[in-house]
Amino acid sequence: MIIEISIGSDFINTRKPLPKSLIGNTGAVVEFTGIVRGKESGLPISALVYEAYQPMAEQTMRTIIEELGQRHACHFVHVIHQIGTVPVGEAAVYIVAGATHRAAALGMVGDFMDRLKQDVPIWKTGALDTSGHPLPTTP
Amino acid sequence: MRILFFAHLKKAAGCASAEIHFSGEIDAEMLWQRLLSDYPDLAQYRASVRFARNNTYAITGTRFSDTDEVALIPPVSGG
Repeated sequence: MIIEISIGSDFINTRKPLPKSLIGNTGAVVEFTGIVRGKESGLPISALVYEAYQPMAEQTMRTIIEELGQRHACHFVHVIHQIGTVPVGEAAVYIVAGATHRAAALGMVGDFMDRLKQDVPIWKTGALDTSGHPLPTTP
Repeated sequence: MRILFFAHLKKAAGCASAEIHFSGEIDAEMLWQRLLSDYPDLAQYRASVRFARNNTYAITGTRFSDTDEVALIPPVSGG
């Protein structure tokens, strides 16, 4: 299984085409994009701010994908997570998984997102109001 | 040992990272006692914080040495 993980800013538009080596074997490609909504805790916002413990986040994502790959046999998984300021309407996270059949790719994407929100050290550390000023945050 | 603080724990600790030193190995309870002595405002978050030792979550029985990098991981909120 090919695993690619990118954490940073300006990565979200680097979606990659199906690797040529996998053409012929891959019958299903499933993508999920998590978009920043316009409200946080009921207040209108213009952006969210993300922080990561990057080396551990990348390692944890890889471990999760390898574990999930035992149940959802995929040929490739590519994950991108933005950090820093992400405006409303833009993608904070993107995952694409390819497999022989759709059940594995769907399972990988859904289960990965659940695990991301449990174990991957990435945090929403703040939000900006519609004037671009930081909103008070509570842990 | 290098200690890393993330998200709201930075404010509680007053810094993003710190160095502490000791001899031999210590367990999680001993590490907490040392951290709470130096950063008492962390106490309110202790129940929800996990230790990570060298990029991997610590588990029951994990021992920590002076050369480790230890991160305090508050509840995550990515995605």
